[in-house]
Amino acid sequence: MTMALCTGSFDKLIVAGIILSGAVAEDMDVEIYVLLYGAYAFKKENGENIDTVSEYPELKEKLKTSLKEMKIPTWVEFLSTAKELGNVKIYICGTAGKIWGGEKVSDFIDLADDICGIGEYVDSAQNADVHMLI
Amino acid sequence: MTTEELKNLNADKVVDARGTACPGPLLAAKKAIGEMSTGEVMQILSSDEGTKRDIPKWAQKKGHEYLGTVEESGYFIIYMKKG
Repeated sequence: MTMALCTGSFDKLIVAGIILSGAVAEDMDVEIYVLLYGAYAFKKENGENIDTVSEYPELKEKLKTSLKEMKIPTWVEFLSTAKELGNVKIYICGTAGKIWGGEKVSDFIDLADDICGIGEYVDSAQNADVHMLI
Repeated sequence: MTTEELKNLNADKVVDARGTACPGPLLAAKKAIGEMSTGEVMQILSSDEGTKRDIPKWAQKKGHEYLGTVEESGYFIIYMKKG
């Protein structure tokens, strides 16, 4: 499975984490390409601190409370568990990284495996059985 | 298998995923199955409704045998045998 992760909102990142968990349970190899706002969320100083939602901003606190009550992991925890259990690679788009001041993989949270160019993403998407854009 | 037969099974592994929402029980089952041998039986305790359909389908797809589900008060137990 290939996933393009364009979002920097924690709600959509959790969705990505849940889908990723299902893919890993199915023993799928997964490549995640982190684009634009996704790269912002992956910056070392952001990660778990991301507090933006993509829709219904008035429901943000309700969402956060429910997630906590239901013991739903954070998006970083979802991705971390998926990497422990399966073959998941995470690549940060070089251009997106640069936009947010990150040029090296060490500028991003430890889950990132490398910096990549768009050709690698397109090639991965072309060869994947499942391709998602979030 | 009947409920009685399921209840009499000796589980080699018990995964208590009660209180976690999807995909928690599925991931817990996936983690545990790696530590089991072929033919061993696993019980998954869950209170997440979606898991009732999710784990049997996953088990079948991954070559394991879904044995059945027993309803308890406030949760249920899924039985499966590692293939």
